[in-house]
Amino acid sequence: MASVHESLYFNPMLTNGVVHANVFGVRDWVTPHKMALLVLLSELGRAGAQLGLLERRRLNRLLLPLLQGPDMALSRLRKAIEECCPHLAGSVHIRLKLMAEGELKDMEQFFDDLSDSFSGTEPEVHKTSVVGLFLRHMILAYNKLSFSQVYKLYTALQQYFQKDEKKDGADENEMELTNPEELDGKMEKEELAGPLREEEIACSGPLSQKQAEYFLSQQASLLKNDETKALAPASLQKELNNLLKFNPDFAEAHYLSYLNSLRVQDVFSSTHSLLHYFDRLILTGAESKSNGDEGYGRSLRYAALNLAALHCRFGHYQQAELALQEAIRIAQESNDHVCLQHCLSWLYILEQKIFDSCVLLEHSVNKSLHFGLPYLASLGIQSLVQQRAFAGKAANKLMDALKDSDLLHWKHSLSELIDISIAQKTAIWRLYGRSTMALQQAQTLLSMNSLEAVNVGVQQNNTESFAVVLCHLAELHAEQGYFAAASEILKHLKERFPPNSQHAQLWMLFDQKIQFERAMNDGRYHVADSLVAGITALNSIEGVYRKAIVLKAQNQMSEAHRLLQKLLIHCQKIKNTEMVIRVLLCIAELYWRSSCHTIALPVLLQALALAREYSLQYLASETVLNLAFSQLILGIPEQALNILHMAIEPVLAHGAVLDKGCAMFLVAKCQVASAASYTPQKKIEALESAILNLNEAKTYFAKVDCKEQLRDVLYFQARLFHTLGRTQERNKCAMLFRQLHQELPAHGVPLINAFK
Amino acid sequence: IGRAGAMAAAAMVAAAGGGDFSDLREIKKQLLSVAERSRERGLQHSGKWAAELAFALEPLPLSELPPPPVLTEEDARDLDAYTLAKSYFDLKEYDRAAYFLQGCKSQKAYFLYMYSRYLSGEKKKDDETVDSLGPLEKGQVKNEALRELRVELSKKHKAQELDGFGLYLYGVVLRKLDLVKEAIDVFVEAAHVLPLHWGAWLELCNLITDKEMLKFLSLPDTWMKEFFLAHIYTELQLIEEALQKYQSLIDAGFSKSTYIISQIAVAYHNIRDIDKALSIFNELRKQDPYRIENMDTFSNLLYVRSMKPELSYLAHNLCEIDKYRVETCCVIGNYYSLRSQHEKAALYFQRALKLNPRYLGAWTLMGHEYMEMKNTSAAIQAYRHAIEVNKRDYRAWYGLGQTYEILKMPFYCLYYYRRAHQLRPNDSRMLVALGECYEKLNQLVEAKKCYWRAYAVGDVEKMALVKLAKLHEQLNESEQAAQCYIKYIQDIYSCGEVVEHLEVSTAFRYLAQYYFKCKLWDEASACAQKCCAFNDTREEGKALLRQILQLRSQGETSSTDVAAPFFLPASLSANNTPTRRVSPLNLSSVTP
Repeated sequence: MASVHESLYFNPMLTNGVVHANVFGVRDWVTPHKMALLVLLSELGRAGAQLGLLERRRLNRLLLPLLQGPDMALSRLRKAIEECCPHLAGSVHIRLKLMAEGELKDMEQFFDDLSDSFSGTEPEVHKTSVVGLFLRHMILAYNKLSFSQVYKLYTALQQYFQKDEKKDGADENEMELTNPEELDGKMEKEELAGPLREEEIACSGPLSQKQAEYFLSQQASLLKNDETKALAPASLQKELNNLLKFNPDFAEAHYLSYLNSLRVQDVFSSTHSLLHYFDRLILTGAESKSNGDEGYGRSLRYAALNLAALHCRFGHYQQAELALQEAIRIAQESNDHVCLQHCLSWLYILEQKIFDSCVLLEHSVNKSLHFGLPYLASLGIQSLVQQRAFAGKAANKLMDALKDSDLLHWKHSLSELIDISIAQKTAIWRLYGRSTMALQQAQTLLSMNSLEAVNVGVQQNNTESFAVVLCHLAELHAEQGYFAAASEILKHLKERFPPNSQHAQLWMLFDQKIQFERAMNDGRYHVADSLVAGITALNSIEGVYRKAIVLKAQNQMSEAHRLLQKLLIHCQKIKNTEMVIRVLLCIAELYWRSSCHTIALPVLLQALALAREYSLQYLASETVLNLAFSQLILGIPEQALNILHMAIEPVLAHGAVLDKGCAMFLVAKCQVASAASYTPQKKIEALESAILNLNEAKTYFAKVDCKEQLRDVLYFQARLFHTLGRTQERNKCAMLFRQLHQELPAHGVPLINAFK
Repeated sequence: IGRAGAMAAAAMVAAAGGGDFSDLREIKKQLLSVAERSRERGLQHSGKWAAELAFALEPLPLSELPPPPVLTEEDARDLDAYTLAKSYFDLKEYDRAAYFLQGCKSQKAYFLYMYSRYLSGEKKKDDETVDSLGPLEKGQVKNEALRELRVELSKKHKAQELDGFGLYLYGVVLRKLDLVKEAIDVFVEAAHVLPLHWGAWLELCNLITDKEMLKFLSLPDTWMKEFFLAHIYTELQLIEEALQKYQSLIDAGFSKSTYIISQIAVAYHNIRDIDKALSIFNELRKQDPYRIENMDTFSNLLYVRSMKPELSYLAHNLCEIDKYRVETCCVIGNYYSLRSQHEKAALYFQRALKLNPRYLGAWTLMGHEYMEMKNTSAAIQAYRHAIEVNKRDYRAWYGLGQTYEILKMPFYCLYYYRRAHQLRPNDSRMLVALGECYEKLNQLVEAKKCYWRAYAVGDVEKMALVKLAKLHEQLNESEQAAQCYIKYIQDIYSCGEVVEHLEVSTAFRYLAQYYFKCKLWDEASACAQKCCAFNDTREEGKALLRQILQLRSQGETSSTDVAAPFFLPASLSANNTPTRRVSPLNLSSVTP
């Protein structure tokens, strides 16, 4: 009875009533392709010393991908060998031909001889080497074959060989054409991703478990690190379906299919694959661990957690929360602290979408450190830093914290987190308005070598941090007027993160923002207006803000004001301080444009106070510029000059070109205004220096192609020259002004009254 | 000359046209002759079906027996080869049969030639599966003959040289090559040319997946079409229509047909009308005591009703007839399951699967057994296998949901229940399960929707209303809660079930309290009196009655007769008939 009971427990190997060969632990079996490899190996052993060093090295490089890769047609294989050593390819072909056109006993003899390579005092092959293991696997698999299977293998070999012969005769030329790119002889999967692909799938047949594992891990790591190099979603899915058709128990394939569905944002099939994966995993988990329950209880928790992650990814926050609650509950019941920490991190991410909660995060960091989860801990630290930066905590403390977490990363070589940390720093420096520092950090990340030395060729470069850094870089370049460079960077981004990928939205937003700025500078407001819709789709707050700017530029003051007030209230509610200050500045500008400088002043002061509090230095200087302008108009240019000295330095150091130009223009105006009370001698000096400043402003404006501002500067300069009596220069400026003036439509805003 | 058979068949169609059953003798003649012709071609199942049906009709006098088929010149030429090959064929030596039939021109011999090649390929495929080079190659094993057969048959098809049987074989080959659309066309053609061949109709049934597809088929207008329609309605779960068709067939004179009786029983089983199905099955067993087909369904019914002795008798009986049949294993499995010997039950389901790997019901049943054994991981596996065999197996999806619910993962199992619900939109069990999950997740709005829909589609277990009422109670929506309880009580009483329903007392208690609060003394006291009939609420009922009396005597209202009949608001007493066909509930924005 006992034996009966034993067999009652579910036997995973029994599917569809047929016992799988896996039961015997055979993960590999003999195929014609493998036999060709065996022939190659034995020929390699036979050739021995005759081979040149270079040929030998090339062959060795070829061997590993061949042993691990999927089966391929004989012609391809021959081609690959030929490129390394034509002589060897010939002898392999002859041996195969002899075997295929001979009798069954030739094959039997071949396998008998194979095991000889291990014997002797100095064997050709070490038993434990890669090649040795492969040989032994093959011999074992061959010995396990039944009579009919051996015969089948032999006929398969004959077919394999004949197919090649036929092909060889038929389209010799075509082969020449299709395979010129395999120069380095690497037969990696991605090389097949050309037009050859379709045909290749058809003839490659099923993968053995080893080959399938190799394929899956390769694709998964490509998906993580460099998506563009992985197979296209459709063909990858096809390959996976193929794999699953042959072995439905291959759970990992379901997971890859889940990842693949995520790539194309397919919520239905990704959920389906994820759940299927865990349904399958539960079994293997239970099987692999003797203490059954632990194995699959664990996968249950992670199943729920992964489901939460999936819903979060698709923006179903409520569903994600429910799933997360479930994961937390199960993890608590089984005292799995590690899983709980993961849950806690996710909880923070979810809560963040709803409201800020530092407490959770601090807790998470502490606990993770306690349980020795450096990854989670420093991820937590980084999130904390980000949050505190928005909350206006002291910058030095934040940088300190980042430095500490960096220490942690380097200690545990968490290369991914190092990237994130650098991207974080770039963003924080940008937030503070230190573009030079941001630029430096961005360049650091881009020129840093990845820590993952395992595959040198594959750098981690489709992570979010890269996207962030590159976007910032593009914007920084655009600010400095290097539009060609910026668009070059954006082009690169487009290639690296194709529009359907996860991080594509980032560059889309930045791209549109840059275009918007350019359109505004050129005065093409209708173009800017058309971009607003796109920006709104990606970031609604930014979109509204830009809409207001366009309205302002089009002199629809009341409407712009209404929009800005709404935005202000909203931003104050969600504590987006940066945007609050920007909105305040915009409102102030609206006021002074309507000549209500006295009303603008308190608004500006409010903005200044906020900017100082949150140490957003650049916004602070911009506010000061606005203040100075208001003071100038209110008739206290000396005071204006005084506070301008505060702002001019950071603006010149970190500001966008346009801002620099505006600042210099303003300085010149203030100088001229304050010169009115000077003695004639001093007045001339002041005017001279104003002209110099105007020249500087002019070069800045020319850089970003701001014709309107340029025209204003020229007019102003011409007046100054006139006052100084330098007719020739005056005329030159006047002429340039005239040219520009004809190009541009006249505006209602009086020249002097505008500062931007 | 080669089309003689086809012509003859066409003539027969003309004789039987219009789907009318007035001339049963003619029908019987046709059935007998087609049974003979199917047998000649080795199509045993179709032959069996026709013979069974013919048996249900009155016997013919000698003079009216169909004449033996007329032999043509070609038939005579191929007769020797055919006779030899047919005997090889019957002995399952297909290659040998095909060898001797090479070059035969007559329709009969040609069909047998092609058919034995097809069967030889299938047999080799099955053998190969066990003996393949590796596990992953298994999926690759194909019937090698299919391609060649397709090429040859399509040539003949183009030249219009195929008779009804040939077309049928062509269709089978196409279906095996997954060319579904072409296969359907060919089967329809086959049905036109030879409507009497049940095999072609049956294949068509397997290929049609929904009602829409059925509408667009142009089928021959014969009495066979009625059988086909009845069958496909059963397959598509359009039970009402199917039952109607079968009833009209019985009325037409096929009342003795065991086939029709069994189909009706299965149909009742599908709509869970257990009593009717049971009685019909018992009738069937009387008429055809050695029948094994459909007995698994019968055992399911016995299982649901926990009729141990009957199930035991059935199991022993079937075991005596043939113990190596899938149905027998299934019945025995059910028997052990009912006796709570789940290990043994699982063993028998496994055996059923060994006998027929495509017998999907066994995977699901095995899943249930593992659930009983608390071996959740094995249960999940079994259910997953069932889904792999048939994605539309709602029981497996439901089982998966239950498993995860047992593992206390209410959110996780939502997905599975939703799948099950999508497959059977008007099955209340899935809806109640969904509602319970939502309730556990504290998503009461969704839960209410589910319970309400469960009630609307006709609740089987009669629990949806109580659950809904309790939800309303929780949410302090006393008005709705009371209405639900009223409906529930109505339902229970209208069913006339004497079975003690646990929740009836709860319902009365709540109603009594509710009416008491609303100061509807008459109703309140009526309900309170009802309460006294139950053990657990007796004391409360009495207390309430006392209170009511007290209050009444204080207030001294108009009348004092307590014996008012049980009051029901008129608006509610209208018995709403459950809607039959409904689309799946859209439960939330995300229903993957």
